[in-house]
Amino acid sequence: MSKTILIVDDSASVRQVVSIALRGAGYEVVTAADGQDALKQLDGKRIHLIISDVNMPNMDGITLVGEVKKLPSYKFTPIIMLTTESQEDKKRQAQAAGAKAWVTKPFQPAQMLAAVSKLIMP
Amino acid sequence: MTDDDLADALDTFITEARELLQDFEEGLLGLEDEPSAQDSVNALFRTMHTLKGSAGLFGLHHLVAFTHVVETVLDSVREGELAVSAELVSALLPCGDHVSSMVEGVAAGRLDATTSETVDGDRLLAALQPFLTLSSPLAPVLAEPEVDTLRTWRLTLRFGPDSLRNGMDPLSFLRYLATMGVLERVTTLTDALPDAEQMDPETCYLGFVIDFVSGAAKADIEDVFDFVREDSQISIVPADGQADDYVKVIEGLPDQDRLGDLLVRSGAVTDLEIARALQIQQERNRTGDSLPPLGEILIETQTVPKPVVDAALGKQRKTADSRSQETQTIRVYANRLDKLIDLVGELVIAQSSVGIHRPDEEGYDEAQGEVMRLVEEVRHSALSLRMVPIGTTLRRFERVVRDVCVDLDKDVDLVITGGEAEMDKALVERIGDPLLHLVRNALDHGVEPRADRERQGKPIRGKLRLNAFHDAGSIVIEVADDGRGLNRDRILGKAVERGMVQPGTVMSDHEVYDLIFEPGFSTVETVSNLSGRGVGMDVVRRNIAELRGTIEVLTTAGAGTTFRIRLPLTLAIIDGFLVGVGPSAFIVPLDRVTECVELPPNAAERDCMYLRGEVLPFIRLRTIFDIAGTPPRRQNVVVIEQSGQRAGLVVDTLLGQFQTVIKPLGVLFSEARCISGSTILGNGEVALILDVGPLVAENVSREQVLV
Repeated sequence: MSKTILIVDDSASVRQVVSIALRGAGYEVVTAADGQDALKQLDGKRIHLIISDVNMPNMDGITLVGEVKKLPSYKFTPIIMLTTESQEDKKRQAQAAGAKAWVTKPFQPAQMLAAVSKLIMP
Repeated sequence: MTDDDLADALDTFITEARELLQDFEEGLLGLEDEPSAQDSVNALFRTMHTLKGSAGLFGLHHLVAFTHVVETVLDSVREGELAVSAELVSALLPCGDHVSSMVEGVAAGRLDATTSETVDGDRLLAALQPFLTLSSPLAPVLAEPEVDTLRTWRLTLRFGPDSLRNGMDPLSFLRYLATMGVLERVTTLTDALPDAEQMDPETCYLGFVIDFVSGAAKADIEDVFDFVREDSQISIVPADGQADDYVKVIEGLPDQDRLGDLLVRSGAVTDLEIARALQIQQERNRTGDSLPPLGEILIETQTVPKPVVDAALGKQRKTADSRSQETQTIRVYANRLDKLIDLVGELVIAQSSVGIHRPDEEGYDEAQGEVMRLVEEVRHSALSLRMVPIGTTLRRFERVVRDVCVDLDKDVDLVITGGEAEMDKALVERIGDPLLHLVRNALDHGVEPRADRERQGKPIRGKLRLNAFHDAGSIVIEVADDGRGLNRDRILGKAVERGMVQPGTVMSDHEVYDLIFEPGFSTVETVSNLSGRGVGMDVVRRNIAELRGTIEVLTTAGAGTTFRIRLPLTLAIIDGFLVGVGPSAFIVPLDRVTECVELPPNAAERDCMYLRGEVLPFIRLRTIFDIAGTPPRRQNVVVIEQSGQRAGLVVDTLLGQFQTVIKPLGVLFSEARCISGSTILGNGEVALILDVGPLVAENVSREQVLV
């Protein structure tokens, strides 16, 4: 059974393009528009990897990481943060919260695919 | 990803972008009404941030590049580094329109910027330039050194104990590595595994040694472990027998001073590994050991094999030999240091002698006086430690003169005299650039081409003289050439043409020659490679003025030009003249003060007075510094002289001569003209040090016209 990835980003086009790229590589994909939405999605599903933006309305990415780490079934789930080169401090915060992987925005679908495949195979 | 999918996603992007741009515009207008709303600033930032991220996914580089700058500006607003202003809003609004038009272009099927869009974009970005606190254009795309030959690498990986908890599965990295090359041999390191009862199943104890054959560059292999690098020990070294290749590469590299640069350029080490080694070096240095060499750390951490480091060291040594390096330490004469220590010893004794006398006792004043005298001597002695001969700086120009002469095809001999004259080390370091400019100017504009010299019967080889000497508490540095000299008529003509001087003005030679130091003055029509870039002599004069020095020019047509720089011996302490205005105190540099007189009662309403039959314009410090309160009945005038111009400063009280230790003013005051620094008075209060040059220039010229 292929692995499932949750994409959390407030931009519909980012969600769409990343989904297309990851599905093409053989992953299952579910999406959420912000942190709260993401937490709902995690409930009751088996998610193997989370990709999350930092800047989002309602619940931002760093808060989301903190919440995810509290969930027993997602303790070991890798999380990739989407940061920008100007957000070095955000990156540090996200790492402290437990998200050790990151992809710098703006990125090409291939770069995302490379980062994901370092962490899980389809 | 099929084309249909992509087209579909692009539609989503365009719809989304239109909404975001609408939000952007509304947000901006809202911000104008309520500039402090953090939420709307955040929302505004997010619109551009999201747009940039999405545009990047579709490879719309023109959109990414443009939105990046707008995002950067908004980021500094968000971080509180930049305040919201009407100007900022009006600069940002057209940016939104511009992004809009680019998005519509994408909707119409154009995936690149049109020429007119590029022009518009550049114009808008230029308008944003003043708001960019840190100029951060798009991060340059690093070009990896191309390595197409297969190499064998020895990877030693020890994953951090928290790797599993962080969602980092060691095996997934090995699988990914396998997509880049062949894992020839994998040895699992189990030495960190504890006994079964002590083992924590959530902790990672594993390590691997891998022989990896790949055509990928070292940095790319290193990238694989990006996410675990911080907590894990990762070393990537060329396998045995491959070191020779690097040695050859290093030997073929151009000269380089720094070991790290050499190793990185050869591909044996990545920037990251150097950064880590430097960090180790810093830490060890802090723990008190002597600074360990970088090369040793690299070998010790098994980053690079020893032969490679040796090759790089050899190369570095060769480079260093071929270039005379400037010393980083100050050589201090032993007797000066001895004297200082002696004085400090005496000071300690004198201090204790003050301690045993009560203030009303006989001998107390004497002991106190002794302490004062010693403090003064200690200060002199300490300052002398910082004095270094100027010769090292002057001798650097031998190379400059040689190189410039080759470029210009001229023959010039450099003669250096007075290199043993001493000045403050801080000054020596900062006088280099202005001197360089003067030397280049002299060679370029001063010394004539060979043919011209021959025609005038001068020796074909020109002569440039650098001379330094002490003169009345200052140091004087002269740059003298034996060239054509300044052309009075051309300078005057140019000044009239530039509107700097009214036609028909009668000016002394000195005044005319001084014009070359005015901003924007350059008589050379064609800009040559070396000088004449428009950042000419005015910058030189400003740099020298910043060092509290002066520059003057002496010239004889056909026989040469001499630039004479006069600098104080030290930057740290000046002799000041303390004056009081209302509750405030100001320091006037004593070397500028010529005399003090009482303000004549009849001058109260005017801005000038007669001093021994001459008109003396004066400046009321109370007015220009906006000090409250009424002036006392008797006021004083401090007569100062600046570049041959006299002026008076009207003050309330004269408080006398004062040894002034200069404290620089903070960045906040960097725009404040007329004030060059501050000092702390004996009673703990702050006094501002007046910068007489701008003070006189800005305030007196106006008055003089009125007179």
